[in-house]
Amino acid sequence: MKKASFIAFRVVLYAILIAPLFLFGLYAFSERWFFPAPLPTQWTASIFTRIITNSRTTAGLSASLSLALIVTVLSLIIGYPAARVLGTKVFRGRSLAWLIFFIPTVVPPLAIGMGLNILFLRLGWSGTMFGVVLAHLVPTLPYTIFTLSGVFSRFDENYELQALVLGSSRLRIFLTITLRLILPGLVVASLFAFLISWSQYLLTLLIGGGKILTIPMLLFSAVSGGNPTSIAAYSLIFVAPPVIMIAASARFLTQHGNTIREQY
Amino acid sequence: MAPAILIISVLFGASILFGLAQSFGMMTGTQQETISLAAYQSVFSGQGPAGREFWSSFWFSLWVATASTFFSAIGALAVAIWLSDRKKKSQQIDTLALNWNMAFPHLVWAIALLLFFSQSGFLARLSATFGFIQTPAEFPVLVLDRFGIGIIIDYVTKEIPFLTLILLAVLRSQAENLDVVAENLGASRWQQLRFVTIPQVMPALSAGSLIVFGFIFSAFEVPAILGVRYPRMLPVLALDFFLNQDLNRRAEGMVISFVITVFVIIVAILSQKQEKGTQQ
Amino acid sequence: MTNIELVNLKKTYPGGETPVLNHLSLTIHSGEMMALLGPSGSGKSTILKLITGIETPDEGDILFDGESILPIAPNKRGAILMFQKAYLFPFLSVEDNIGFGMKVRGDNAKTIRAEVRKMLDLIGLPGFEKRKPSQLSGGEQQRVALARALVLQPRSMLLDEPLSSLDTEVRVNLQEAIRRIQRELGITTILVTHDLNEAMGMADRVALLLDGQVAAVDQPMHLYARPPTKPTSRFVGITTFLEGELKQGHLATEQGTLTVNTNRHQADSAVFAIRPEHIRVQKEPGQNSMAGLIAECIFRGDYIEYQVAVDKQTSIRARVPMPAPLIEHGQQVYICFPPEYLFEVEPN
Repeated sequence: MKKASFIAFRVVLYAILIAPLFLFGLYAFSERWFFPAPLPTQWTASIFTRIITNSRTTAGLSASLSLALIVTVLSLIIGYPAARVLGTKVFRGRSLAWLIFFIPTVVPPLAIGMGLNILFLRLGWSGTMFGVVLAHLVPTLPYTIFTLSGVFSRFDENYELQALVLGSSRLRIFLTITLRLILPGLVVASLFAFLISWSQYLLTLLIGGGKILTIPMLLFSAVSGGNPTSIAAYSLIFVAPPVIMIAASARFLTQHGNTIREQY
Repeated sequence: MAPAILIISVLFGASILFGLAQSFGMMTGTQQETISLAAYQSVFSGQGPAGREFWSSFWFSLWVATASTFFSAIGALAVAIWLSDRKKKSQQIDTLALNWNMAFPHLVWAIALLLFFSQSGFLARLSATFGFIQTPAEFPVLVLDRFGIGIIIDYVTKEIPFLTLILLAVLRSQAENLDVVAENLGASRWQQLRFVTIPQVMPALSAGSLIVFGFIFSAFEVPAILGVRYPRMLPVLALDFFLNQDLNRRAEGMVISFVITVFVIIVAILSQKQEKGTQQ
Repeated sequence: MTNIELVNLKKTYPGGETPVLNHLSLTIHSGEMMALLGPSGSGKSTILKLITGIETPDEGDILFDGESILPIAPNKRGAILMFQKAYLFPFLSVEDNIGFGMKVRGDNAKTIRAEVRKMLDLIGLPGFEKRKPSQLSGGEQQRVALARALVLQPRSMLLDEPLSSLDTEVRVNLQEAIRRIQRELGITTILVTHDLNEAMGMADRVALLLDGQVAAVDQPMHLYARPPTKPTSRFVGITTFLEGELKQGHLATEQGTLTVNTNRHQADSAVFAIRPEHIRVQKEPGQNSMAGLIAECIFRGDYIEYQVAVDKQTSIRARVPMPAPLIEHGQQVYICFPPEYLFEVEPN
């Protein structure tokens, strides 16, 4: 009896997982689909192809991708040392540091964006990739740091010590041992950073000043436009990279465990 | 590794920028260097253009956040308890839930719900096919509605997995044996739930719920997509005013944003207190 | 005052090839403390799980006062289990922990408070009502767990190695406390342990479990001095077995002929055992002695352990209580087996 309900649960879960994609697919590839037809009466891929090859879309894609990648790499580079210290050492300003990292996760991007908007305007960083990258770092860096520090709090530095004692150089140790040991956490941290940057709307809007157009922004304008086909098309474009990346790193996610909240 | 100082200064820099920016913003962003409380007055008094909508937005936001959090919490509790009953590996379901949660950010999930539940959406078409309704107008207004039902549905469906995972973590790490002990001492299944399971998860549940509550209150994307012209949730209101050409409206937008921020920080502090309170 | 009968219990775990319990039967008398002793995996804990209802037997029955408890739901059986870890509810005070079972069965608050207070006195922790489990030491936690069980005046108590995680001194104190209280209240108790000394020190009777069955059950002193079989002897610390043809009070072994006390007149093959502390190590030959060389001598505090090689393959382990002069490695000695301490055992 229990087993049957479990299977039902699984089915429902998978259905919910697929449903949005299915829905988007229906709309994106439909030509004629008037109420009350349950399925499109005419299918075409031409609208979708048109959208995806449209220069605005390709520009948006490349903007989103490059933005997310830069932000991710920077988060990792900057966040790694901080996470290491936070996770392994006890020092006097620890709670303060923790607090500084914590607040940006709580304060909404809305407020952050609005505040930085004015400042960046004055500094001339508004409308630049540089400014947007900086802005994105505010939410992504803390998540990266907390994820990695969680990994480090479970990390046994004796492995590195062992290698050191056996004569290996610090760089070698880092590359061959440390990275391998924290790899799952590293993957998860970069995944988070990427996703956060990829899905940012407000920050890009407020700092980008209309010059930096990313997929979320194209998506939003499609929504206000009201055409379900283009809405669905952009949604598919938006969702594809996250789905792919999560599928690729799925096994690291199981190792890692549950939510970030657990880290602290 | 010493570069932590570098990071902290970068971040501290970002925080200062952010704080600075706030103060600039509060000073209407013009050449005015003195702090003006005009924007505050106009918002809180309910007089100015922002003020007129402010309080109804505030209560509306509160309503949506409370309802969403409440139903998410109950849903998560039910699912977590049901899942933890199973001794074997429901690890797969956990990973699935987590992955799903991440693959569809709020933005996209809201759009999916829009396409599904709107009056000319997929569900409506299905109902028409089965003869339940004739025209789009006959389909009940589930999204883009005045009560925020669509918004609530969105948040509940997204936050239940999040909270469930938190609860499962508690139920699995702390003695699952406590249930066995309780049963051995004479407790029925219901008594076990009431006296052992629920007290065990309550701290994590309240901490998690507060996080969810704060998030919903301050989030923009979902109400922007699933909400209507009136009433609007606070973040939507804030942005609208901030983007206005008139600098006074901008200041008012900033004030609203500030209100949201303060509110959320208070909720976060409460949540942290809850969490720390459990780690005796 | 419940009499417990285990009847022909059989249990195989899914994925296991051999049954953990293989037609095991045992009777525990009302008010008695029975220790279940055996190597790990011998099914001791399984028996407790079957009694509490956490697991169900494949075959067999369990009777309380002659009635089967198998159809009764696990939370209504009245067999309270104490685990290795105290498993106190961390979110409840000591008082609420102890009173948990009473609350669940509907007793009123006043009665609960009174009983809890009495129980706290009994276990030696008066005034601890409002404390939280996290504030207690391991020993104190186990006492509270004990109180939590006892306050319900259960039909039986099942102890699953509850003391194994405690420090020696705490453990000894708790052993005495449990024994004292159990005797006073007369609750039928089953104690599972792998520690021979603990079993013998606490129990009225000890049941030795080997291969899913009861290999021997007897009072501790008897079991210790005269175990019935070779495997059970090994378990109580006997390593010396002398085998050979038995004829009219003489055992012809490979190492020599020994005089033995036995009722049997004749047997082609008989096995005799002797406790290591009863074997004498001396310089001159005597009754029932064999010559040998000291191969090892280890000082163990209370006694000295000698390994004496009597021929190329055979070496006998003897224990000589202190104080005694140390006999050096390589010395020629004679080991004697006084006939009054030699006893016959079944080969298996």
